[in-house]
Amino acid sequence: MDGNDHSVVRAVLAGDKEAYGTLVRAHSAAVFRVAFRIIGNDADAEEIVQETFLRGYQRLATFQLRSGFGTWIYRIAVNCALNRIDRPGVEAEYRHGEENDPEQKIVQVAADTADPERSLLSREIGTAHAMAMQRLTPTERTAFVLRHLEDRSTGEIADVLGIAPNAAKQAVFRAIQKLRRELAPLRGNA
Amino acid sequence: MRHLSEEELIALYYGEAAAGSVAASHVHACRECSASYAELKQHMEAIRPAPVPQRGAQYGEEVWQALRPSLVPYESKQRGWHIQMQWKAAGLVAACALLMAVAFIGGRYWERQKSNTAKTDGGVHTQTSKRVVLVVLTDHLDRTERLLVALQHADPGDAAENSQLQSQARELLASNRLYRLSASEAGDPALAAALDRLERVLAEVANDPSLSAVDLDRVRKEMNTEGILFEVRVLLSRTPDLQSGAEHAKGATI
Repeated sequence: MDGNDHSVVRAVLAGDKEAYGTLVRAHSAAVFRVAFRIIGNDADAEEIVQETFLRGYQRLATFQLRSGFGTWIYRIAVNCALNRIDRPGVEAEYRHGEENDPEQKIVQVAADTADPERSLLSREIGTAHAMAMQRLTPTERTAFVLRHLEDRSTGEIADVLGIAPNAAKQAVFRAIQKLRRELAPLRGNA
Repeated sequence: MRHLSEEELIALYYGEAAAGSVAASHVHACRECSASYAELKQHMEAIRPAPVPQRGAQYGEEVWQALRPSLVPYESKQRGWHIQMQWKAAGLVAACALLMAVAFIGGRYWERQKSNTAKTDGGVHTQTSKRVVLVVLTDHLDRTERLLVALQHADPGDAAENSQLQSQARELLASNRLYRLSASEAGDPALAAALDRLERVLAEVANDPSLSAVDLDRVRKEMNTEGILFEVRVLLSRTPDLQSGAEHAKGATI
């Protein structure tokens, strides 16, 4: 895929704008997934996907052919998501939505049982998880998402976040500590 | 026996190489650490992320169709880049022409100042300071000459050399700034204004990190360096008495 991607990148840089569509089609799902996991809602995640590919196109001339396009665009996506979190209002808006939009809560939890009591409990757990994630700092949340959900190494996380590997490791550690602490009451209920 | 810290247990959970087999064997042997690790594992597995909403098979196509109208083909960008480079080259040529004009006016100005000073009595101190300024002017012209020669013979593919030329241009810019200040203090607004214009152009050239080999090559071709060199030499020869002074003060700085 990387070899193909590289030839597509060359074509785009040579003036074939349409070739960029191949890269967008191939990597949109992965970019959406990581954006959603960091930002927590699909409307923002979709905007991040657009922003990521737009930035990617604008910076394509700086793309080093020795790395994979997927890895490169992934980094841009994580940075776009982090920038989005840093914007004032986005977090508050998200939390407000979490707390007040019942439909949103249903989306967050896998309702795999017909038992209303279990369904309610599952919904509460899902909401608590989402809230605990939102209480992490943007760096902690992103580091945790990349480590725990995206299965990225500490080195890769450090690279994406532009921090030292030890700082990345500490961010993951702090995130886990906070999550364990936040979710402790749920374990008592379960 | 030292028990494993939470951080070490987390590293072990993620299978990080640094945690290694030592930690794994310790967990195996130590009941307390084994219990802590089992608890951590349970907690980690319980952290369930919100499921990622599924996107259809056409999602990539939808993203592309939304993005497509806002993209400008790279070919156009390249064309834009060429235009930008042409402007840069034109700026360099204008800078050189301005430099020549400034050198000429400067020469005239200092010559006049020198003759006025010679007419006054007790002007030893003034004459000395003027001589220093004139030596600096000669030095400035020498350095300009060297830069022009270097530009004329620059190898477009030699990044190190091009970088050195940029560095020299920066030094020239600093000298030029001092000239401008001197001219302002001496009450010559025309010279100061000309030097100010030159300074702006030189600053743009000297501080442009994207000045590439192609730019220098274009400069070399378009600025007619030979003509400029000839004029610089003529200016130097117009002040023969300074030549000797300059010889003594080579390398002097303001």
